[in-house]
Amino acid sequence: MSNIIEVKDLTKKYGDFVAVNDISFAVEDGETFGILGPNGAGKTTTLEMIEGLKRPTSGTIMLAGLDVERQTDEVKSVIGVQLQASTFFEGLNLIELIETFAALYGRKADAMQLLNEVQLTDKAKAQVKELSGGQKQRFSIAVGLVNDPKVLFLDEPTTGLDPQARRHLWDLVKMIKSKGKTVILTTHYMDEAEVLCDRIAIMDAGKIIALDTPNQLIKDLLATGFSKPVLQQDANLEDVFLNKTGHALRE
Amino acid sequence: MYTTYRLTLASIKMFLRNRQALFFTLFMPFMIMLIFGYIGFDKPPVIDVGLVTHNPSPETRQFLDQVKQFPTLKIHEGSLNEEQVQLNEGNRSVVLDIPDYLVPAGNVAAPEKQSIIAYENAGQAGQSQTVVSILNQFIDKTTIAEAHASAPFSVEERSVNAHNLRYIEFLLPGLIALSIMQMSVFSVAFVFTNFKEKGILKRLLATPMKPLQFVAANAVTRLIVSVVQAAIFIVAGIILFKVHIIGSYPLLFFCVVLGALMFLGLGFTISGLATTTESVPAIANLVVFPMLFLGGTFFAISNMPPWLQLFAKFLPLTYFSTALRDIMTKGAGPGDISHSILGMLVWGVILITLSTITFRFQERDSA
Repeated sequence: MSNIIEVKDLTKKYGDFVAVNDISFAVEDGETFGILGPNGAGKTTTLEMIEGLKRPTSGTIMLAGLDVERQTDEVKSVIGVQLQASTFFEGLNLIELIETFAALYGRKADAMQLLNEVQLTDKAKAQVKELSGGQKQRFSIAVGLVNDPKVLFLDEPTTGLDPQARRHLWDLVKMIKSKGKTVILTTHYMDEAEVLCDRIAIMDAGKIIALDTPNQLIKDLLATGFSKPVLQQDANLEDVFLNKTGHALRE
Repeated sequence: MYTTYRLTLASIKMFLRNRQALFFTLFMPFMIMLIFGYIGFDKPPVIDVGLVTHNPSPETRQFLDQVKQFPTLKIHEGSLNEEQVQLNEGNRSVVLDIPDYLVPAGNVAAPEKQSIIAYENAGQAGQSQTVVSILNQFIDKTTIAEAHASAPFSVEERSVNAHNLRYIEFLLPGLIALSIMQMSVFSVAFVFTNFKEKGILKRLLATPMKPLQFVAANAVTRLIVSVVQAAIFIVAGIILFKVHIIGSYPLLFFCVVLGALMFLGLGFTISGLATTTESVPAIANLVVFPMLFLGGTFFAISNMPPWLQLFAKFLPLTYFSTALRDIMTKGAGPGDISHSILGMLVWGVILITLSTITFRFQERDSA
């Protein structure tokens, strides 16, 4: 499989502070790639440099054969983005917002089709402020898909969502992956990374400290003789919660 | 082009659906026009006069009846005590105590010289002096008539139908300039600071759109709103107050667009300086508030003290309101208002340059 993203020796400095410290990795076409790490590890900065929103201090990024630094506009045309703080214009309904964003790519979009994919057709005439947290994230993803991108970036898409809404969003991400799109996502939830990601990079203090498939990372850890101090239960509290409240979306 | 066009449409929709913006840009200035238009500052001021009589002779009564005909005097009759109370409370400019035999009867010689005692309100010296001189005039005429002499000379009055500038006609161009300033500055400053604060600008930057396209769409929207604002004021002025507009509409249109552009520059400068929407009114009012009163909207600059004029005449709003007023009330051509147009151009260049320095689409690099 070919690489759709190749990051080489990427560094971002703010004055003396090194936010991203000489990282290199590649993402395969069609893969769902997770970037994990504590707050301030440099996940969002890395993402924003690949998206062309921030200029690297040094290093190169190739995306779909394009140099992000020199061909920024071409790169922006083939990617879809969902930012951490996803707010939109006030005063426009969902259809109008999708049409406006499509126009930013110089194209027309089938707004209802996109809303259908994220199950928001019944909210077509609503404004973003009337949506629940999960609906907002789904809408944000729909907007990220207006240009039929090759790569979709999701920055902490499930932060702050209830368990039902999280699982619903996972299904959406899997559906997008099934269409052959590459998905890059950041998250704080390990279960999310395990369910969604083909491969994971763990970042800390601007460095990538581990990069592999979730299974291999676990195997490697166990090989060092690691074992959990507490006996693994067959169910956890989240299973209890979902078992009691059901998987149906609440919004 | 398609992108800018669609963005402009979206921007117009957003503007029209923002009730707060509509209230401040269209409804409020319109209310100001109605209020100031109907108060009618240009009716001659009425002077309140207290008249105290005791037991006036028929001749004196006749004299007083004549005085009452005088249009600018509002005569209140009462006892000396009552009227003095009113005077002390500031409700009279002057109280006149009239002697019973002010005007001698027939050929009977006056017993002695009678005089009116005028209690003047020191705080309204101008008005009370006017009343006293009106009275003197009446007395002189009466005296001359009594003496059966003909007046040595007289003033012959000829009325000329000059086009007098009514207050509403003075006010209207100023109000147009003022409301365009308010709209341009506040709607841009609020909206763009909000976009910046909420990360909407960043989201837009993740698309291939050029920042200039977005700025242009928003600017065009507000230029259209400015022209609509001006049109509403002019139509309302013509229908409700029968205002005459003498000058050329194309020139008016040009000045409206130029003035709006200048203030859009100010709006973007402020949205660059403000970090939160809460700080917008503070910064914007610092600049806009003095212009509300010194920009020649409500009062003519020429009535201000000279040191203040020196400051007021260089304000952007002054150039704008003067240009509109000269066109609308004097029928000025481009040559006549070249000074104001030049002033607006200079301010436009200054403010737009400032805005490119303070306003950044992309947030400065920060962790």
